[in-house]
Amino acid sequence: MSDATALGDGPTAKVAPSPARRVPVGRVVVSVVVAAVLVALPFMFPAFRVEQFVGWMALAIAACGLNLLTGYNGQISVGHGALYGTGAYATALLITDLGWPVWPSVAAAGVICFVVGVAIGLPALRIKGLYLALVTLAVATLFPLIIEQFSSITGGGSGLSITTPQETPRGVIERPIRLESPGGSLAPDQWKYFVFLVLTVVVFVVMRNIVRSRTGRSLVAVRDNETAAEVSGVHVARVKILTFGVSSAMAGIGGAVFALNNGRINPSSFTIVVSIYFLIAVVVGGAASVIGPAIGAVAYGLFIDVLSPELPERFKPATPVILGVLLILLMLFAPGGIVGMWRTSAAKRAAKRARAATAAAASGDTV
Amino acid sequence: MTDFLQVLFVGIGDGAIYAMLGLGLVVIYRSTGLLNFAQGEMAMFSTFIVWTVWDLGVPLPLAVIAGMVGGFGVGALAHQIAVRPVGDPHEKPLAVVMVTIGLFVGLNSAAQLVWGTLDRDLPPLFGSGGIEVAGVAIAWQKIGAVIVLAVLALGFYLLFQRTGLGLAMRAVASNSESASLVGVPVPKLLMLGWGLAAAVGTVAGVFTAPGRGLGSNMMQLTLIFGFAAITLGGFDSLLGAVVGGFVVGIASSVVPQYVPGFEKMPLAPAFILILAVLLFRPEGLFGRKQVQRV
Repeated sequence: MSDATALGDGPTAKVAPSPARRVPVGRVVVSVVVAAVLVALPFMFPAFRVEQFVGWMALAIAACGLNLLTGYNGQISVGHGALYGTGAYATALLITDLGWPVWPSVAAAGVICFVVGVAIGLPALRIKGLYLALVTLAVATLFPLIIEQFSSITGGGSGLSITTPQETPRGVIERPIRLESPGGSLAPDQWKYFVFLVLTVVVFVVMRNIVRSRTGRSLVAVRDNETAAEVSGVHVARVKILTFGVSSAMAGIGGAVFALNNGRINPSSFTIVVSIYFLIAVVVGGAASVIGPAIGAVAYGLFIDVLSPELPERFKPATPVILGVLLILLMLFAPGGIVGMWRTSAAKRAAKRARAATAAAASGDTV
Repeated sequence: MTDFLQVLFVGIGDGAIYAMLGLGLVVIYRSTGLLNFAQGEMAMFSTFIVWTVWDLGVPLPLAVIAGMVGGFGVGALAHQIAVRPVGDPHEKPLAVVMVTIGLFVGLNSAAQLVWGTLDRDLPPLFGSGGIEVAGVAIAWQKIGAVIVLAVLALGFYLLFQRTGLGLAMRAVASNSESASLVGVPVPKLLMLGWGLAAAVGTVAGVFTAPGRGLGSNMMQLTLIFGFAAITLGGFDSLLGAVVGGFVVGIASSVVPQYVPGFEKMPLAPAFILILAVLLFRPEGLFGRKQVQRV
């Protein structure tokens, strides 16, 4: 992990001789524009596109969780697809089989995945780095087989539809779940978009607060040097296990969003490839930056959902080839991802400004 | 009893394949210190090269050799352009994992791009017949896998223990800085290690394809079995890869057959092995203990 990504705005702080605190006009403008675009999107695109956007949100939430674990805490998981799947199946089963309402099911999916994450986090105390990557890779590969094994509950290879009993003129029947706006003022896809957009924003705000808190600093301390963190009074084991739990809960909530968006899940949606996508979203956006996974998820979504279908059938596999090559190039030349590149260039500009200021001051002295 | 022997022999045959992939993983671990998550995809890719050459009308054994040469090229190239520039795997594990994953994704879809998404048929190297011993049918293909594994393992043993080149490779594995100081061309040997690993991977692919169908995802399960084999055997031990391969092969064949609740999870015993060994005996059966100087 390069230093540029290590500690929030470290490089800028180091280079620029802390200027007086002013209103970050640029940042406010960018936030307003982003917010406006996010609100406008579902009115500008057809329903299938809007549903794809919701899919990107599911990816962003799960990648956000993975970022907490891998980016901030340095524990590499190639198995978050399994937790995503656990969240999706938990949500589907709670709604369909136990008749739970939607939101308690989503919350329960998060709690269940937290517990599973803690269970995985325990052995991860002794298994580190590449070896943890290996174990989690095995978990990811095992997950679809577990779903097939317990097909009496999970529906096996043919999958599960999320259904709820609904009143009809012909009595109560099980129908595919639909999230609908009260009063029907918005189309179902638009309503779904806004509901899950709020959830996504909440997850990212929680993430930001965790990272900026004392706990967040202890996460980074554990990543950078476990012994030093321990000596400084950080309870390393507790931090690592809790991080695994929280990160898994986020992946589970992402899975819940995925399940509710699609209305149907099957084991082929949770293969090793999904875990790889999460990692890609994290490192492309920028590991150890709060907003990085969201940027990574959008970049990935644009690539797969928008660019790829434009290609002729024969050349569809070309997109992952480009993705693989880009990933390698990124690791070689910009391990901080998109956010890392932005920070480096921002730091360079700040340095330039600082130099210019010193030069001006120096010439001022001589006059 | 006959049933059990049947299951056992299937396990031994599969185990030989896992051991072959494991040998490649060990060679890479010994030379560059990393777990190569793209090993299975490299094997898959070079098996497609075998298929292409065979499809042109070349006899299969010659095609396999051509595929091994091609695989050597893929492995050496992957090391030169992607793995070496990224740096030390134990200092930057995330970057190294991501690079091997980039190779994984890239090779997997490159194979789909070149050879399409439909499975190809590669005939078994040792024919589809078999012999019957004590009422148990054993396919020539399984016996062939064990023999080929023995030849490969012996070849690696001789290379590492009896030749100057092998000595140099061991020097790089044990302390690359000192090796470099006494004039060993370290980068070249690392490249050679990756090439060799990919070349033996080809053979693992050639034995996997006839049973599973030659497709871009065929090696993903085999990769986990191969990793389980070398975890059990010890990441840096060639002998360990062989012993571990057989143990994993037999376990993943016997357990789903006889333990209720595991029918569809041949991977579960391998997973439990990986987890248990890493938790309680990280050096495996034959590996060297990793000691860290504080």
